[in-house]
Amino acid sequence: MKQLKFTGKRLAYLVVMLFGVATLVFILTKMIPGDPTVANLSQRALNDPEVVAAYKAKYGLDQPIFVQYVLYIKNLLKFDLGTSIRTNKPVLAELARCYPATIELALFAILLAAVFGILFGVISAIRRNSILDQAVRAVSVTGVSIPSFWFALLVLYFFYYKLHIFPGPGRLSNSFSAPATVTGLYVLDSLLEGNIPKAMDALSHLILPGTVLAAFTMGLITRTTRSNLLDVMSMDYIRTARAKGIGRVGLIVRHALGNALIPVLTVIGLGLGNLLGGMVLVETIFNWPGVGQFAYESVLSADFPAIIGVALLIALNYMIINTVVDILYGVIDPRVRCQ
Amino acid sequence: MKKRFLALALSVAVAAGCVACGGGADNNAPAAEGAEEAGGAESSGSGSSTVVVAMGSGFATVDPGYVYEKYPPLIVNACYENLFKFYGNDSAPEPCLADTYEFSEDNLTLTVKLKEGITFASGNPMTSADVLFSINRCKNLQGNPSFIADTIESMEAPDDLTVVFHLTQADSAILSKLTYSALAILDSAVVKENGGTDAEDAATTDTAQAYLDSTSAGSGMYVMTSYIPDEEVVLEKNPNYWGEATNVDKYIVKIQPDSNTQMMTLSTGDIDVALNMTDDTMAELAGAEGIEIINAATKTVGFLMMNMNEEYGGPVSDPKVQQAIRKAVDYSGVQTICGEGTLTPYAIIQSGFMGSKGERAADYANVEEAKALLAEAGYADGFDVDLTVTDLDMEGILLTDLAQKVKDDLSRIGINVNIVSQPWAAGYGDAYRDGTIGFTVMYWGTDYNDPNVQLEFLPGGVMGLRAGWTKEMAPELAAMYDETMAATDNDARTAVLEKIQDAMYEDGPFLMIAQAPAHIGYNSRLDGVAISDPYALDVTLINIKQ
Repeated sequence: MKQLKFTGKRLAYLVVMLFGVATLVFILTKMIPGDPTVANLSQRALNDPEVVAAYKAKYGLDQPIFVQYVLYIKNLLKFDLGTSIRTNKPVLAELARCYPATIELALFAILLAAVFGILFGVISAIRRNSILDQAVRAVSVTGVSIPSFWFALLVLYFFYYKLHIFPGPGRLSNSFSAPATVTGLYVLDSLLEGNIPKAMDALSHLILPGTVLAAFTMGLITRTTRSNLLDVMSMDYIRTARAKGIGRVGLIVRHALGNALIPVLTVIGLGLGNLLGGMVLVETIFNWPGVGQFAYESVLSADFPAIIGVALLIALNYMIINTVVDILYGVIDPRVRCQ
Repeated sequence: MKKRFLALALSVAVAAGCVACGGGADNNAPAAEGAEEAGGAESSGSGSSTVVVAMGSGFATVDPGYVYEKYPPLIVNACYENLFKFYGNDSAPEPCLADTYEFSEDNLTLTVKLKEGITFASGNPMTSADVLFSINRCKNLQGNPSFIADTIESMEAPDDLTVVFHLTQADSAILSKLTYSALAILDSAVVKENGGTDAEDAATTDTAQAYLDSTSAGSGMYVMTSYIPDEEVVLEKNPNYWGEATNVDKYIVKIQPDSNTQMMTLSTGDIDVALNMTDDTMAELAGAEGIEIINAATKTVGFLMMNMNEEYGGPVSDPKVQQAIRKAVDYSGVQTICGEGTLTPYAIIQSGFMGSKGERAADYANVEEAKALLAEAGYADGFDVDLTVTDLDMEGILLTDLAQKVKDDLSRIGINVNIVSQPWAAGYGDAYRDGTIGFTVMYWGTDYNDPNVQLEFLPGGVMGLRAGWTKEMAPELAAMYDETMAATDNDARTAVLEKIQDAMYEDGPFLMIAQAPAHIGYNSRLDGVAISDPYALDVTLINIKQ
């Protein structure tokens, strides 16, 4: 019952926050210097006041800001994010087109970050102050501090261009055409088609951009896992367990790791949110047709409806992930439900 | 136990790495031997009849009625045809779907006879009704490219193979305009079936864009079979093509905005043609085996604008000062900054256009003469001036780099330039259009491939007014606008254009400092790859060497 109440409360927060974020995003977008008419009309068209007026009327840009806001919220309640000024298509349809590519990459990256981050964190903790520990810490610090655009260019240059180990930009090699869309995730859709080589090709295209995206979160997970595991290992119950004669691996896997990973869950959740929000540069460099690239093109065109749509989507991602993490916290740790 | 745990951990790491790497193996193999689908190999590489082209982004539709940006004409030209076409970058327009044409004596009527026996990819015959539909649709959609039909007042189709254009004014560029991608001839029956209309309210009632973004409806050599925005376009041979096709069966056009990425994908054989390379990335390709490179001038031009209105231009509005600045600019240095293939136009008509006088004399710059001219203007000790520059680039060349070069060059004659950066969206764009910028370095991309687009730089033209240059200030030169427009005879037009260039060689508020280069890298298995201003790349002229 308590868990249900806790979950309901979190979901109610989610709705309120979403409204707040929608308002904030609208205000901030309107404050951005930039005129969609300048960005999207030809120089000749801009010299014709009638064309400019018709263009503004078409996208509601001639209305007072308050009227635009009311209309925006009303449409939002009907899940209508408006029409993209750049593509002339509904923003929701455009996001639905781009989002699976981003999700596929983000999920792969977070999986990579979680698996290697926890692994490195554990190794680093159990071999505390050894050369291995120092090496793992150096890798995690590098992962956290390396600029993603630079890292992206670097891995592309060496692992694709020079060493030919991994495939280059894009989601598939030229040998394959895009699979029929079911989920929009190429690996999954290729498997659903029963085309294993295509699925493997799609998977291989995830490696380089996935690694670049994973680097930052992996560094954080490594450091969080290490420090939490060290804390937990010094606790009384661990000493007791050790006194009972439980072996080191059993001690870590069965007794220490579970408790040490609770804060790591938060890091993974935030990391996933970060990944979804920080795709712009990586998607552009790796030619990944996801939300990041869509956002980049939309900003260049001062495509306000699309920019608002992307911002809302990213905010929604964060909020949903945070809510899920909060709820999971409640499931894992009963004390949270009582707060 | 400890060792076993570590061994287990390492094994997991290695296994994860191996699983992840599995799919990348084909990258080392020759592309044509890579993984194949049931439909067969679709890769570039020796022996393949598929060609992979990488181009830039910045567009969101390939519906001809809306096409205005740089790269979509590549797709439109492959899948559709126009009444006229540029078969070479520097040539005059020649009949394509048109058979013959004739201007009336007053140049206000153009009668075009269509070729017989032309069919669309659907198998429908092409008739004058399709021409009327396509051009009216473009006009009435009121999209960015609609201006191209501004001088077409009305059209009529006396029979299935004749189209008569009634013009609002004599327009010597009308044949060039009819080559424009937005005026490509559509299969009207198919487009109408899918929501298309050429009615006056087409801007609000036409719903064919979604269809034309999924496939094509033209008579071109290829049919568009897939378009994934921001990712790729696939073109396959049109089985009903009426003309003689090349030996390329299929094109995969990748949208790859980054020039470094294009350089790498070309080098590794993943693509055959890299269209938007830069001077730096071209250096990486120099001497690479199996790769050819092209560095040649486009018709995009960078210029200095010195406002004639003293209120904004200050000292640079003085014609003598303008002449001094002309003499002070180090044109060869500008060419070095812009990269191989850059030209310095003689005046406002770019090299490659009909009537162009080519390049400015190589020894034109002369600092001593510039100082003397400045002294004549009453500025023997020079002066301080703001040079406003915006955050744009000209074919990958930052305008700020050009501004810095101008600053350095003018400092040699005592003009102390203060560079003021102003983002396009944060004021520069408005000020530029309003004609309130005093001194700036900017670029101009041609709207359509004809020297008449440059007439906007004349006094009273769109650009002329941005520089505060009204018709009244130079009535004789301004009158050449109408004279050029009326000159449908090429020799007569060339003569007027030459007069304009001579008049603006040393005078006027505009100094053309560079004709920007384009850089293309391509696989040497291809023949016919060339720079194309109207189409970015004319894929209908490319063959695979046998």
